[in-house]
Amino acid sequence: MSRAEQTPPLVVPRRTQSARLENWSRAFYRFRQSWLSVIGLGIVVALIAAALLAPWIVPYPEHVVGGTNTAAKFQPPSASAWFGTNALGQDMFSLVLVGSRVSLFSGLAVVFIAVAVGTMVGAVAGYFGGWVDEVLMRLTDLLLTIPSLILAMAVAAALGTGVWNMIIAISITWWPAYARLVRGEVIVKKEEQFVVAAHALGASWMRILGRHILPNIVSPIVVKVSLDTGFAILTVASLGFVGIGVKPPTPEWGTLLSEARRYMPDYWWTAVAPGSAIFLAVLAFNLLGDGLRDVLDPRARR
Amino acid sequence: MLLYILRRLVLLVPVLLGLTLLLFIVARILPGDPVGLAAGPNATPELIEQMRRELGMGLPLPVQYWNYLTGLVSGDWGMSIFTRRPVFADIMEYLPATVELVFAALFIAVSIGIPLGLLTAVNRNGVLDYATRTAALGGIAMPRFFLGILLQMMFAAWLDILPLSGRFPLIESPPDHVTGLYTIDALIAGDWLAFRIALSHLALPAIAMALSPLATIMRMMRASTIEVLQQDYVMTERALGLSNRLILFKYVLKNAMTSTLTVIGLYVSWLLGGTVLVETVFDWPGLGLYATQAILTQDFMPVIGVTLVIAVIYLITMLAVDLLYGVFNPKVRHA
Repeated sequence: MSRAEQTPPLVVPRRTQSARLENWSRAFYRFRQSWLSVIGLGIVVALIAAALLAPWIVPYPEHVVGGTNTAAKFQPPSASAWFGTNALGQDMFSLVLVGSRVSLFSGLAVVFIAVAVGTMVGAVAGYFGGWVDEVLMRLTDLLLTIPSLILAMAVAAALGTGVWNMIIAISITWWPAYARLVRGEVIVKKEEQFVVAAHALGASWMRILGRHILPNIVSPIVVKVSLDTGFAILTVASLGFVGIGVKPPTPEWGTLLSEARRYMPDYWWTAVAPGSAIFLAVLAFNLLGDGLRDVLDPRARR
Repeated sequence: MLLYILRRLVLLVPVLLGLTLLLFIVARILPGDPVGLAAGPNATPELIEQMRRELGMGLPLPVQYWNYLTGLVSGDWGMSIFTRRPVFADIMEYLPATVELVFAALFIAVSIGIPLGLLTAVNRNGVLDYATRTAALGGIAMPRFFLGILLQMMFAAWLDILPLSGRFPLIESPPDHVTGLYTIDALIAGDWLAFRIALSHLALPAIAMALSPLATIMRMMRASTIEVLQQDYVMTERALGLSNRLILFKYVLKNAMTSTLTVIGLYVSWLLGGTVLVETVFDWPGLGLYATQAILTQDFMPVIGVTLVIAVIYLITMLAVDLLYGVFNPKVRHA
C-alpha cells in the first residue's frame, strides 16, 4: 500500500443548512444570549397576539363600543374587572385590551411609512447627489429642527380626528431621520465595486438602487426601526393624551389616561392600567430593539 | 473664536428663513377653519368675513408670507385668534416658565446622570451598575405624562408634601420680575419663602421631565467612560503611578464628556417639545400649554411662533455644544 492510498479522501462536510439559514441561526443564538432581549421579544409577541385576538377575548365587548354600566362605576380591581372600572362603569381591562389595537397598529404604521418615505428620499438624494441631494437634505434638516411632537400635534389637529390622520401627522415628523440614515449608507455603498460593475453592465438607476444598494443597507434600517417602534407607540399615546387623535368611544391608551386624570387620585386604577400598558409596550420594543442591534450591528454593542 | 461664532450665527439666517416658509406653507395648506372656530357657533358670515380681513387672510399667499416675515423682524408675530393678544406678547409671558422647567430638568439629569455614569463605568458589573442599568431601561420607556401623574399621586395626593400643580399659588404674589424664572428671581430678591414655594412647585414636573434624559445621559456617560478607560494613555498614566482619582477626573472625564455632550444638546430640543405633555399634566403656564391650547383651537400663529422660538433655542444650543466640544477637547477648538 502506498502512502497516497492511506490518506483518507478530503471530506467536505455536507451542508445541512444553507448559508443564509446558518447566518440566521447564528444571529438567533447571539440574540438568545441576552435574556433581556428574549423577555422583550416575549412581551412584544404577547402584546401583538393580545391585540389581534382582542375582539374574541375581550370580557365586556359592549363597553368597548361605548356601552356603559353606571351602576358599577369606579369599582376597584377585582376578579370580575381585573383593572377596575371607570367613571362610566366600563371595564378598564376591556378598554386597555382593545386600546392596544389602535396604539400598536398606529405605532407600527408610523414607522412603516417613515421607512418607506425616508428610504425613497434618502436613496434618491444619496445616489444622485448634486442639487437633488442639496434640496432634499435641506428640507430634511429643516424638519429635524422643528420640535416633532408640536408639529405632529398641529398637523393632526388640522387634519381632524381619526387613526389615519394621526398616523400621517406623526409620519411627517419621522421620515427625515430615515432619509438621513439611508442617504449616508447609499453614499458609502455606491462607490463599491459591485455597483460600478452593475453600472458597467448597463443597469438602470432604479435597478442599481433596488437590487444592489438597498438590499445591502437593510441592517442599519432594521436596527433603527426596532429601536424606534417603542417611541412611535409612545408618540401615538402622547397625541391621544393631549386630546388629539382618536376620539372616544374608540379606546386608545393615551386618551384613556387623559380621561383618567380627572379622577385622580381616588380612582388611581383608571390611570395606572393604560399608563402601565404604554410603559410595558415601549419597554418591550426597546428591549427587543437593543437585542436586534446587538445582533445586526455588533460594533455598537457596549 | 468670535469670528467663528459670528459666521455660525449668519448661517442661521437662511435656516430660519426656510423654517418660516415651511411652517407658513404647512399652516396654510392644512385644512381647518380657525376663524370659524374662534368666532363661535353663532357667528354670522359677515362677522367671519370681517375677522378674516382683519387677520389679513384674504390676501394672496406670497403677500401674506411677506407681511408675516416683515412682521417677525419688527416683533409683530401676528395675533392669536384664541387669546386675542399679540403672539409675541403671549410668548414672552409664557417663555420664562418653560425655560425654568427645562433648565431644572436638564440640571437634574446632568448633575445625577454624569456622576452616576462615571461611577458605574468604574465599578463595572457591580451591584450599582446592574441596578442602575435596569432602572435606566425603565426610565427611558417611562412616558413623561404617566410619570407625572404617578408623581402627583404619590407626593401631592398621598404624602401631601408637594403641590399638585401650577407654578405659584394664586393668592400669593410671585417674586419681582427680573429673569421671569421664579426660583432665580426669588434668590435675587433674597426671599427664601418665595424660593421654597417656587421650588416645591417646580420639583415634580422637573423630575417627570428629567427621568428619561437622566437615564440616557447616564448610559452614554458609562459607555464612553468605559471606552476611554481602555485607551493606551490611561494605561500609561496607571503605569506612571497616578492615582485613580486623578486619572478619572483630570484625564478620563474630559474625553468621555464629548459624546455625552451631543446627547445633552439633543435633549434640549426634546425637553422643549416635550413640555407640551408635562405642562398639560401639571398646569404649568408655559409655552407647551400655550401651544396645546392653540393647536386644539387651530390657532396657527401661536403655533408657528412657539415652534420658531423652540427651533431657535435648539439651533443656538447646537452652536453652544459645538463650542463646548472645544472646552473638553482642544483638538476641535475653533480658531
